[in-house]
Amino acid sequence: MTKVAIVGAGQSKYGEFPDKGIKELFFEAFKDMAASVDKGLDPKGIEAAYIGNLGSGGFQLGNMSALVAEYAGLQYIPTMRIENACASGGYALVAAIMDVLSGTHKVALAGGVEKMTDVSGLKQKYWLGVSGDTEYERLAGTTFAGLYALIAQRHMHEFGTKREQLSSVAVKNHKNGAQNPKAQFQREITLEQAVKGPIVAAPLNLFDCCSTTDGASAVLVCDAEVAKQYTDTPVYVAGFGTSSDYLAIHDRISTVTLEGTKKASERAYKMAGLTAKDIQLAEVHDCFTIAELLAYEDLGFCEKGKAGPYLDEGHTQISGDRPVNASGGLKSKGHPIGSTGTGQAYEMFNQLRGTVQKPSRQVKKAEIGLVHNVGGSGGTVSVTIMRR
Amino acid sequence: MAHVSVPMYWRTIPQRYKMIGQKCKKCGHVNFPPKGVCKYCSVSSEFEDLQLSGRGKVHTFVLISSGGAPPEFAEQEKAGGMYPVAIVELAEGPKVIGQIADADPKTVKIGMPVKTELRKIYTEEDVIRYGFKFVPATEEK
Amino acid sequence: MAVGISGYGVFIPRLRIKREEYVKAWGSFAAAGVAEKSVMGFDEDVLTSAAKVSKRALESVPLSPDKVSRFALASTSPPYTEKLLSGTVLVTVGVPNATYSSDHTTSTRAGTEAIIAGFEHVMANPKGIALVAAADAPRASMWGSVEHQLGAGAAAYVLSSENLVAELEGHASNVTEHFGERFKPRDDPLLHDLNVKKFAEGALISNTTKAASSLMKKLNRKPEEYQHVVIQQPDAKVPSSVGGKLGFTEPQLAAGLVSKNLGDLGAASVPVGLAAVLDIAKVGDKVLVVSYGSGAGADALSFKVVGDRKAVPRVQAEMDRKEYIEYVKYLKLKGAIV
Repeated sequence: MTKVAIVGAGQSKYGEFPDKGIKELFFEAFKDMAASVDKGLDPKGIEAAYIGNLGSGGFQLGNMSALVAEYAGLQYIPTMRIENACASGGYALVAAIMDVLSGTHKVALAGGVEKMTDVSGLKQKYWLGVSGDTEYERLAGTTFAGLYALIAQRHMHEFGTKREQLSSVAVKNHKNGAQNPKAQFQREITLEQAVKGPIVAAPLNLFDCCSTTDGASAVLVCDAEVAKQYTDTPVYVAGFGTSSDYLAIHDRISTVTLEGTKKASERAYKMAGLTAKDIQLAEVHDCFTIAELLAYEDLGFCEKGKAGPYLDEGHTQISGDRPVNASGGLKSKGHPIGSTGTGQAYEMFNQLRGTVQKPSRQVKKAEIGLVHNVGGSGGTVSVTIMRR
Repeated sequence: MAHVSVPMYWRTIPQRYKMIGQKCKKCGHVNFPPKGVCKYCSVSSEFEDLQLSGRGKVHTFVLISSGGAPPEFAEQEKAGGMYPVAIVELAEGPKVIGQIADADPKTVKIGMPVKTELRKIYTEEDVIRYGFKFVPATEEK
Repeated sequence: MAVGISGYGVFIPRLRIKREEYVKAWGSFAAAGVAEKSVMGFDEDVLTSAAKVSKRALESVPLSPDKVSRFALASTSPPYTEKLLSGTVLVTVGVPNATYSSDHTTSTRAGTEAIIAGFEHVMANPKGIALVAAADAPRASMWGSVEHQLGAGAAAYVLSSENLVAELEGHASNVTEHFGERFKPRDDPLLHDLNVKKFAEGALISNTTKAASSLMKKLNRKPEEYQHVVIQQPDAKVPSSVGGKLGFTEPQLAAGLVSKNLGDLGAASVPVGLAAVLDIAKVGDKVLVVSYGSGAGADALSFKVVGDRKAVPRVQAEMDRKEYIEYVKYLKLKGAIV
């Protein structure tokens, strides 16, 4: 499929910004996106906007998409807030793609924004902990760290996955993120540090978990026919897929598989006429280190249960044959919930066009890449495949 | 603080106090907690109530430390230290998540037999929410 | 028609604190004769405990919960001062919703109040089955000496006219007007005790001895005819002083003296002590129990052991299952750190 193109992408810095709210953050990403459009962008040409968002910093429960759009100068267009927890951004991207694919609009904006550091620690845990199954999982005393720890424990039990392998995900992603000027944590960590982090939800420690982050991102999606009006080097949407799964882990067929990732990627591969083997690089949802290992398996990069060895063999390093999370991933870049999915698309857009800010994390000559965004512990998943 | 309204919590009393499951009239599998449509055959929405034994085995578990405890469980963690939460495979088939009480966290293992007991789960809006937790099944008959 | 106890169940929370922990923290320990005492866990209270002992009592008969026609609950430390309490237990155990229930909460006499209420039901209804649960974990200010004695525990009884373990021979009561010895003013969840020692002791001794003597007189019974006597145990010394006045000796008190290792079980004191006696008593043994509640009143009940215990609850096993905690953890669990 080469009917839909991405012609611009922008991202705010990710981190803690007391001086910026969702409006300002979104506008920062929007301006960055506009500047990335090679032949210039007249904002009046944007016909619709899909905004991924979960909590709006706790203040705007409804109608936030109109608010951030008008602040950025987009008035009187269809806007929609897309909420699928941590996969909100990925679904906003898919919504924009489907809009253009349907022929309704030629040019649509997909974006995402989250303001997480405005609220107290208690409220943060409230926002973060109620996108799993609230009735049973939350009331058993877990937040997402606990839920992913349940998966990790079982993965270790069934496949012999090692503590060091979980930590190696964090080490790799921090190494990459250290080369990302927009990442929240631009510093490397050692394996020893990562292994000995303070326990949050055993077996997961602090270095297995991503942080709370402020940030926004924006991606300009258009009909391939008009793409060259914006740039000579568009990135095309080769395929996409989304899937739900049982919200509560205890209801799932397998505790160690995100069926949503499997289904969403199978659909995306089929639409693109590709297989996992064709994917040259990926931005996957590593909200917890175990989540990246699950992604390797469920996206088909390796067999079920073999993610640990697959990581150890170096395939997913920037120097490997299939770099994963060259951006630093959620782990190092930060995870501003609603922005994460379109933020991954921002990275992929630049990777495929060779325009990554720091050449040290530029993956050489990549043509086909995949972005993978997971909501909660896997209740919603989106996968989008892009090619040059 | 997670917000689970009083009526919403009340609607789950058959599960939380008594472990009442749903037996599918078509495929015979047991759903717990209840579903609109049986999750095993994906066809039937006709069930009969089934009193579960409350017994099962730990399928996987986590030890929740202060950083991983939601606000409504923070006091419990501070008073008693890290607490285990498990997904338990019940004797009747379904899996369900719950805390393991009365167990030294170091002794919790996959495969360990457990059974349910009524405990205080948490308090919201000054209303104590009671429900099942698991306890080691070897401790008493 | 003979009525009596058809089954019973006991629960002692597994946490214990030793008197030495108090001595370390406060320099002394005020509960006479108490070596250690039981403490509820963070997620336990009198209702979860009452549910547990109610199930155990029914299983000991064994009897299905849907056969129960009367339920009574006793505790001085319920989680709410206003809200029906029985429902939590009744629904958890599976006792029919149409069962008449009553909550007894205003003094440590509540345990025997509930038992007598249960007996009144089975005496009036030959097919009636009463389930009675007493559970307590009283709280007081950590600054007061009365706090030192407070423990936690629960016992439940199935009362009926069939499958009797122990037959009720009779009961008697005595009530007086006393105040200031042990009370909770409105708006304070913690026990007060003005520590007017002799006055309080007098209230206790006069009520318990009058209730017990009038029952023994009614039954034409002499003290030495009882193999076992259980008297309200705010500490481990009170039963001896009351028992002494009534002509009982230490061996008669020994089997039911659970406060040595559990502390003051409040409304569950006599019910748990009686269970400990029934665990070891022989067929034909006579058992006298005397409760006391401040304010003040006492109930005395006399039993004759008539049946073997089919499934012995073994209070001793509950007492042996324990995990010691330090005083700081005790403060946390008791909600004393705010």
